[in-house]
Amino acid sequence: MLCITVLYDPDCGLCRRAHEWLAEQAKLIEFNFVPCASEEARRRYPQLNHDLTKQDLTVIGDNGAVYFGPKAWLMVLWALARYRDWSYRLAAPEMLPTTRRVVSLISQNRYQISRATGLSR
Amino acid sequence: MTIPISTYLIYLALSIALTVWVARTLHKNGRVFLVDVFHGNEALADSVNHLLVVGFYLINFGYVSLALKLGYVIETAEQSIEALSVKIGMVLLVLGGMHFFNLFVFSRMRRRSNTHQHPPVAPDEFTPIQQAARQEA
Repeated sequence: MLCITVLYDPDCGLCRRAHEWLAEQAKLIEFNFVPCASEEARRRYPQLNHDLTKQDLTVIGDNGAVYFGPKAWLMVLWALARYRDWSYRLAAPEMLPTTRRVVSLISQNRYQISRATGLSR
Repeated sequence: MTIPISTYLIYLALSIALTVWVARTLHKNGRVFLVDVFHGNEALADSVNHLLVVGFYLINFGYVSLALKLGYVIETAEQSIEALSVKIGMVLLVLGGMHFFNLFVFSRMRRRSNTHQHPPVAPDEFTPIQQAARQEA
């Protein structure tokens, strides 16, 4: 895999902040950022369930592999030079349930977190 | 030449010959591993290979040199052969240990570089991709 496409929620302040942070990180593979359920996203992936991508972060590899939610975050970490080792640690069988819980919790409450931290528009 | 002096000389000649032989074997056969570990970067592989062999020589010659002293007087050819067998046996064991340690390092480096090529999780599904270039053309 040489490139991943990240479908992010453009209405979420936390996601925009995460996007800025990602832009500064050293990457092992290339990133494409596309707003979820946008025209561009529908054109690129005509057969993808775009309602599902609105609920949680989605990462799509250049081979068409789709990763939703916590798996998508693990793929983002895996693509970063400093965090590739962490992606394996967090994806290990004994850590994966905790990773899923924490990521889902943040994801489901992203608008509230954005408001509380002053990151929303 | 007296028996003690010839014993030392035989010991040194055998130890040095064995060390050089093992080091050359490692150098020749370890290269393939290292080229694979460094994803075909041959210059880097050759450099690391050379550095490993230098370390190997230093440790082994250091041991051979430290183990030279016998600690007792040998007077007959029989005693000389017995002393030689103990000394050479120790050198062989150290060489064997070092050799397996080197193999362990090679295989660990190789495993590390290979496993980390794969994503940490399996995908949820696969979706066809509409190529941007094809769309715009």
